[in-house]
Amino acid sequence: MTATTQAPTTAAPVIGAGVTRVDGPLKVTGAVPYADDLAPRDALVGVLVGATIASGEISLVDASDALAAPGVVAVLSHHDAPRVVRPDEASADERAPMPPFQDATVRFHGDYVAMVVAQTREEAVHAASLLRVSYDVAEPVVDLNDPRALRETDDPAGADSVRGDLERGVAAADVVIEADYVTGDNTNNPLGLFSACAEWDGDALHMWATTQWPFNTADCLAEAWGIPREDVRVECPYLGGGFGSGLRPWPYIHAAAMAARVVGQPVRVVLSRPQMFTGVGHRPETVQHVRLGARRDGTLTAVEHTATIPVATDDDNPENIVSGTRQGYAVEHLRADVDQVRLHISPPGSMRAPGEAQGNFALETALDELAVELGIDPVELRMRNEAVTNPDQDDLPWSSKALDQCLRRGAELIGWDDRDPAPRSMREGDQLIGYGMAAVSFFYFQQPCTVRVVVRRDGSAAVHCAAMDIGTGTYTIVTQVAAERLGLDLSEVEVVLGDSSLPASPPAGGSGLAMAISNATALAVSGVLGDLGLDGAPGRDVLARAVGDRDEVRAEATATPPDPAELGMSPSGAFGAKFAKVRVDADLGLVRVERLVSVIDCGQVLNERTARSQVVGGTVGGIGHALLEHTVTDLHAGPQTGRVTNAHLADYLVAVNADVPDLEVEFVGGPDRLNTVGVKGVGEVGLCGVAAAIGNAVFHATGRRIRRLPITPDLLL
Amino acid sequence: MRDFTYVLADDVASAGSLVHNDAVARAVQTPDDVAYVAGGTTQYDLMRDGVWSPGTLVDISRLPLADIEVSDDLLVVGAAVTMADLARHPSVVDLDVLRDSLLLAASPQLRTMATVGGNVLQRTRCRYFRDPTVTQCNKRVPGSGCAAVEGTARTHAVLGVDAGCIAVHASDLAVALVALDARVRTHGPHGGRTISVTQLHVRADEDPARDNTLVAGELITHLEIPLPDARSGYLKVRDRASYEFALTSAAVVARVEDGVLAHVAIGLGGVGSVPWRATRAEEVLRGQRASLALFEEAAAAELADAFTVPGTAFKPELARRTLVRQLRDVTEVTA
Repeated sequence: MTATTQAPTTAAPVIGAGVTRVDGPLKVTGAVPYADDLAPRDALVGVLVGATIASGEISLVDASDALAAPGVVAVLSHHDAPRVVRPDEASADERAPMPPFQDATVRFHGDYVAMVVAQTREEAVHAASLLRVSYDVAEPVVDLNDPRALRETDDPAGADSVRGDLERGVAAADVVIEADYVTGDNTNNPLGLFSACAEWDGDALHMWATTQWPFNTADCLAEAWGIPREDVRVECPYLGGGFGSGLRPWPYIHAAAMAARVVGQPVRVVLSRPQMFTGVGHRPETVQHVRLGARRDGTLTAVEHTATIPVATDDDNPENIVSGTRQGYAVEHLRADVDQVRLHISPPGSMRAPGEAQGNFALETALDELAVELGIDPVELRMRNEAVTNPDQDDLPWSSKALDQCLRRGAELIGWDDRDPAPRSMREGDQLIGYGMAAVSFFYFQQPCTVRVVVRRDGSAAVHCAAMDIGTGTYTIVTQVAAERLGLDLSEVEVVLGDSSLPASPPAGGSGLAMAISNATALAVSGVLGDLGLDGAPGRDVLARAVGDRDEVRAEATATPPDPAELGMSPSGAFGAKFAKVRVDADLGLVRVERLVSVIDCGQVLNERTARSQVVGGTVGGIGHALLEHTVTDLHAGPQTGRVTNAHLADYLVAVNADVPDLEVEFVGGPDRLNTVGVKGVGEVGLCGVAAAIGNAVFHATGRRIRRLPITPDLLL
Repeated sequence: MRDFTYVLADDVASAGSLVHNDAVARAVQTPDDVAYVAGGTTQYDLMRDGVWSPGTLVDISRLPLADIEVSDDLLVVGAAVTMADLARHPSVVDLDVLRDSLLLAASPQLRTMATVGGNVLQRTRCRYFRDPTVTQCNKRVPGSGCAAVEGTARTHAVLGVDAGCIAVHASDLAVALVALDARVRTHGPHGGRTISVTQLHVRADEDPARDNTLVAGELITHLEIPLPDARSGYLKVRDRASYEFALTSAAVVARVEDGVLAHVAIGLGGVGSVPWRATRAEEVLRGQRASLALFEEAAAAELADAFTVPGTAFKPELARRTLVRQLRDVTEVTA
């Protein structure tokens, strides 16, 4: 079964129009099929059991009591679980996460040591409490600053870059500023708990799993089990939030497949909230160092940005903390470097704007410090150093860039020039008022995407792709692109997504899917129209006549990332400017955001409503990143070392409505030159820059420079 | 999860002898294994987390304990009144300290479920207490030690604690109640009694394993809240603007006559192992001429002996500032 949608009726042209989501009615009536809704109802329930140590070897998993408990069908552990191959996640440029139960090694607190399979969840949970797991405990290394930790210095994140001669640039500077910045670990925490249900039919595997990338999950499962790719099907038409945590084939997915294999029945695994903190990735903490050199007039002469981030002991997570620094400003002399430190922590992964979220905070805070030092307006400082071409890509001209418009318009909207720029100069009663800003140059990310367009006998159409809509509006924008180019009403296009048996798609991630799938859709429409001997946007009657007495006519097309050198231009990601107005209680250190303006260049806006919603959602995440969110791991030596101490939504603070003012969003710029639809992704740019803008506003309000996230009241006392 | 027996005590006809009905009689006979439940907003979490496994739950939410009676100077609140209902009662709407201690707590959903009797008995939010995989917890396993003292302790207590336990009592309502000189009425195996809220809880530095002074089977039936002839207010300081327990809070009830503090009563939240009655600060203030300097002196006196660990090192200062701010706002003293 796959998800289908029915769209409201609107008149073309529809690209750019803020049409309501085609799946909106299904969502608000609770009718959308989440992955688990499609899974067999009679599946057994698997409950995963995590290690209570952070490093060591399991000496024994004694399941005798658990197996005797009511309703228990099986217990899996490394003693007897099926052996599978660890997939090489080539398309993601990293090894896939370790499948569970393959050896006795415990790599982090919460690492799965066993799974109990029972008739009901309650029975499985109870039996899990009866398991006796013994360990040979080793001393874990969980602190980023621990000198014992293995440090990977050979460009482990693929992020390092040197331009010119940094020291020459520093020598040419009139002013040099230098500081360390720290960002805390964050956890994605989608509201929907991740689930996976597996059913085997002989050697064919069918799974319904929470994933932002069904196609890759199926690839990895086929590789793990050594079975033909066409015998694996992964469905996920909807999920309850992802924010990057659904990008990888995480161990719980393998666990469901293993259990179903062992018991010969479908098995469903649903993670608990604490398991969502250790089982599906998290945004790694960072320690960063930034050194900026500039002439008196504000011209940057040198930029140095280095970062240290943690990675799990046996995993890859090439997170580029310095991407925005490398391409953000025109500077001749630059050194950017990211090291990784291997720790006994759960594998970090992508969380909305991976790398750039943390790196932007350091760079854009440092620029604010430089602006203060030079006595130059922070907006003006960024304009003076605008990268008119991409300094990180042979100075090729951008395929589109409207950062200067973002900056100007943002300043205008927030009333930048009306503020008193002196720190701690604006006050209302106990409240100090501050304004701050940051710029964002988000990275470009593209992978090939294939789409099938089907024109049916009645002239209506369907679009098929394995891609996922993580709630951003992919169903809607694909409907719009296909409808406009076929000359159909939105209601005459059916979009089918979230199924690995459909044409290959990239992940719903990296702000890359909208560009990839809309262009693939446009190409496939051109293909099918060519096959039908049509052009333009013919409309339903003409399409129906062209199909004639055939059932349907279908065409597939693949949108492939172009070669920049061949094109003679540098593919652009989104650009943006963030302006914040905050109030800080002078005595109590409470920071409350009063206004937040986002001006975004994301190329052609496919749907003003869903694009705005993405920026709003990203900004809310940015407020959490700036002021609230912090996954805290126990660092002290003792039995709890390496345990996440706040793996609970009462203790891990995300922004609630009261923390979020009305968010102002505007789009500037025009269609990108790189692709036929002219779109650039907007999924992550909304989060970036928020932390730096708020932090800079806190400085303006209080005169206190906080170089650490989250910015909490205790830091401002 | 362990199987448990659930008994709905709904025998309204014999409400006068509520603790003698069958269900509660059984509860009294096997006290360690039985507990009352009303809104369940804390208890069901504890059960799901595997921290607490009662054999029998006696649901008291249908007992006739949901009335609010007002006389001239006393509010008598049934223990099963919800936080939401109490907050909107006409006698509470203008009693700032009580109203705000209710409305700044939890979320609307939780306030609609949670009862005031359960609120004052809520268990600590300490994540070491609430995770059964943590082996060191003197509150859960007496004598096992305290993981929080060595661990991550930003939300923990600094008053009424020592290295054996730094768990905070997180109720906002109870902080207001101690400042209002409120009492609880109980019904237990040995009859009824009245206990000052300041005497209801047990400090962690006295006995971390014991939360309160109730005996097995004893049920809070009512809160008695004297209506003060004074101004009042509740200030709650927290990272998030809503839906978070206090980092620090201050409940102040005060009356200034001719510039002199004729009456002052203070509760502090987020800092104590019990809802903290700030008697030292009150001694500094009482009968003195109200001034910001005096408020500073009083706040400093109260926090002078705070027990801190690295994670809570900021708390005494934040608590001092919170109290000074609230004393200033309630008394409207400007200098």
